[in-house]
Amino acid sequence: MMFPWRRVRVALLLAPGLLVITALPGFAVDIVKLRLGTIAGAGWSAEAVSLQLNLLDERHAALLLQAQRVALPDGFGELSTLTLSCARAQITTTAVSCAEGTLKTQSTMLGQQHIQLTFRYQLDTGRIDTALRDIHACDGTLSLRARLSDTRWQIDATGTALSLPAVTRQLAATGIALPVVTGSAGLDVTAQLSGVSSQLQEADVEVRLLAEEVSDAAGSVAAENLDVSLHATVKAIATGMRVVLDLSGRQGALYIDPVYVEMPPQPLQINARFDWSSAGQQLLLHSLSYRHPGSVLVEGHGLFSLAADAPIRDLQLELRQANFPSLYDTYLRPWLYGSMLADLDTAGELSGVLYWEQGKLSRVSLDPVNLTVNDREGRFGLNAVTGRVRWSDTAVPARSELAWSSGSVFQVALGATDLVIDAGHDYIRLAQPVAIPVLDGALQVANFQLQRGADAALRWQFDGLLEPVSLSQLSLALGWPELAGKLSGVIPDVHYDNGDLEVGGVLLVRAFEGEVTLRNLKLQQPFGLVPRLQVDARADNIDLETLTRTFSFGRIEGRLDGRIEGLQLESWRPVAFDAVFATPEDDNSRHRISQKAVDNISSIGGGGVGGALSRSFLRFFKDFPYDRLGIRCRLERGICDMGGVAAAPEGYYLVKGRLLPPRLDVIGYADRVNWDTLIAQIMAVTARQEVRVE
Amino acid sequence: MKTIRIPVAMTLLLFVAACVTINVYFPAEAAQKAADRIIMDVYGEQPGNTAVPLEPQSRLHHNEMSFPVHALLNWFISPAHAEADISVNTPAIQQLQASMEKRHKQLAPYYKSGAIGMTLNGEVTLRDQKLVPLQDRNTIKSLISKENDDRSALYREIARANGHPEWESEIRAIFAKRWISNAPAGWWYKNTQGAWVQK
Repeated sequence: MMFPWRRVRVALLLAPGLLVITALPGFAVDIVKLRLGTIAGAGWSAEAVSLQLNLLDERHAALLLQAQRVALPDGFGELSTLTLSCARAQITTTAVSCAEGTLKTQSTMLGQQHIQLTFRYQLDTGRIDTALRDIHACDGTLSLRARLSDTRWQIDATGTALSLPAVTRQLAATGIALPVVTGSAGLDVTAQLSGVSSQLQEADVEVRLLAEEVSDAAGSVAAENLDVSLHATVKAIATGMRVVLDLSGRQGALYIDPVYVEMPPQPLQINARFDWSSAGQQLLLHSLSYRHPGSVLVEGHGLFSLAADAPIRDLQLELRQANFPSLYDTYLRPWLYGSMLADLDTAGELSGVLYWEQGKLSRVSLDPVNLTVNDREGRFGLNAVTGRVRWSDTAVPARSELAWSSGSVFQVALGATDLVIDAGHDYIRLAQPVAIPVLDGALQVANFQLQRGADAALRWQFDGLLEPVSLSQLSLALGWPELAGKLSGVIPDVHYDNGDLEVGGVLLVRAFEGEVTLRNLKLQQPFGLVPRLQVDARADNIDLETLTRTFSFGRIEGRLDGRIEGLQLESWRPVAFDAVFATPEDDNSRHRISQKAVDNISSIGGGGVGGALSRSFLRFFKDFPYDRLGIRCRLERGICDMGGVAAAPEGYYLVKGRLLPPRLDVIGYADRVNWDTLIAQIMAVTARQEVRVE
Repeated sequence: MKTIRIPVAMTLLLFVAACVTINVYFPAEAAQKAADRIIMDVYGEQPGNTAVPLEPQSRLHHNEMSFPVHALLNWFISPAHAEADISVNTPAIQQLQASMEKRHKQLAPYYKSGAIGMTLNGEVTLRDQKLVPLQDRNTIKSLISKENDDRSALYREIARANGHPEWESEIRAIFAKRWISNAPAGWWYKNTQGAWVQK
């Protein structure tokens, strides 16, 4: 702090010195007027200064000091028409003092002032004691008590009901980089400052802030009903300043973009002890503690170099305790918007340590306890994750162990799993093969390796084996009609590259007493806004009776082969494929189709033929023999290019009857069908079936 | 002779070049209509243009007395409007639109208050967060982030669905204008000078 005390003292010395002379016997002087002109010191100057003394008796005089304009050090503005008066200043051989003085002036910063003051000037030691009351500052009042002797000074200041918006305006005017706020917020401040000449030696400041509603112009710093206390002590040391800060937030809410903190029932506390060297722009953090009861307790120490590109030079940040969901909701989520982790339900606890060395994050160790993470859109989830996660920016990998009790991917349940992982600079790999239970089966994973490329893209691959998963559970989990059968497969090369997942090998579905094989499975952005899936499928020897029973479509007996090439799903709905399903050429099983099945196929056709059979004499037949049946659909741009098992006059056979009576052919005529309409019809028919079952 | 031959050759070359250049023009008018349809749905207003009902093209030939009996199927074909210049009828587009329609109910009060404004690039942004209560600011930011993700995906998917991924920026530009044009009075948008204007 700069204050030109020496120059003040010169001026004050001059006046009483003259006073003493004029009071000597033989000089019958009653009034002394001095025109001092302009006096100036480092950073300040006063123009048209005059001093007038009206001697009252041997020991007392009325004192009047005036200055037309006083320029104060930078940031403090200037004073005009300054009048310091003391109706009865006491004058002794050792001191001049005033018990009731007034100072009137117009300050560019604080406006019109009428200040009550007392002062005492010790002539022999040069010590000055002064107290100023009722200074109108920042919509409140300020009192100052100052003691100045030789080069030492001490100031006690008390500010009452200062307005925070006014304080921030004034601080900004003095060039301090603080946001200017508007609204209504009051500050009570007490401060004890001491120093030598222009150097602050010690400061002890207590601030109580009550902010009803306050915000900066952009709304990025704001508070409501906030009650915060701050205690700061500052001490000069050889390298700069040593600062101890204790901050306590008792109630209300604070928003510092993007973090919104509601003060917990027990106060939120921040304690910090650091050395600040303004020359090196360095902050040596001896200790930091951030305690948000019910949410986090973080402790740390380190070195920051504010002028450097990476300001965190060395830092050890210890997460002593973190509770979910508060940690996630308050401190993590605001940084995760737009990512896959933006909408989670969380629970559990976490502790750990983060280390920065030489400007880089160098080591991480995190220990989750019963951590539960569930995507609110139901895409994925893990429950009761417990273990130790270690990462280090070195060639030697760090070993992590993690276990969870259950989880899910797209509602498909995963069972309890233990993982052992090695992690290095930019990779994670599985240290031991693992079997993740999937419904009643399991996914065996070996050689899992995850890599983060220089382009920050995430890549991983593994060799997998899917042990049989019951199709009935899988179909129910995915919200499909319940299917019977098993899904299994050898998937030797599963890899994921920046959102695209490719499954090598073959997935085998044993269903409806036949086999369905899936190849060339590719998934793009499975968790993204528009997931896309591509696969080629082949069905062999499906038993139609089981299939039609499953979908309660009306009984059909026989076998069915099929292939679906280039099936593409967009947002899990088909947009393209080329599919053919037909009775195998060499099939010699019993071929029968029920009346109900024929009716249903006709209803899907939508031509109003539904029920036609039951109106004809054919109603006497429960089912019909057929030679072959089949359907072909090539879907592209919402249109299905249709075909059947063989060409018929003007159309195609969907069901080709036997030559012997009762012969029944089902013939399709339309070769281009709107896919959405077709699906709607199928849904309507199956829905009707369900009603019938009831 | 030479001096003449070169321009002739150049002209021929130009001709050849012109012959192999295929210009695919962006169907701006159709894109605008498609944009309006989606935007009105998202804004939740009911324009007169409800979906054209799909009439089955019935061709029933059924003769009970004939033998063998043919159960005739008449799969119906989508009417010609499926071949519109700009198609917005894919699962991805429908899903994005549905997601935006649902979110719009939450965003609407903030459009109205001026907390959210529409930008020139077909997105939305937090215009004045002071108009949002403190505890809701992060919710709004999350909604805005999701809305912009959906909108970007929508423009990309429309371009893709029409076989021209390179149209994405043109589709975005059309949408940017139409979001503003279709918005009710009182909502805020950025004009070409980058200043906020209230509609």
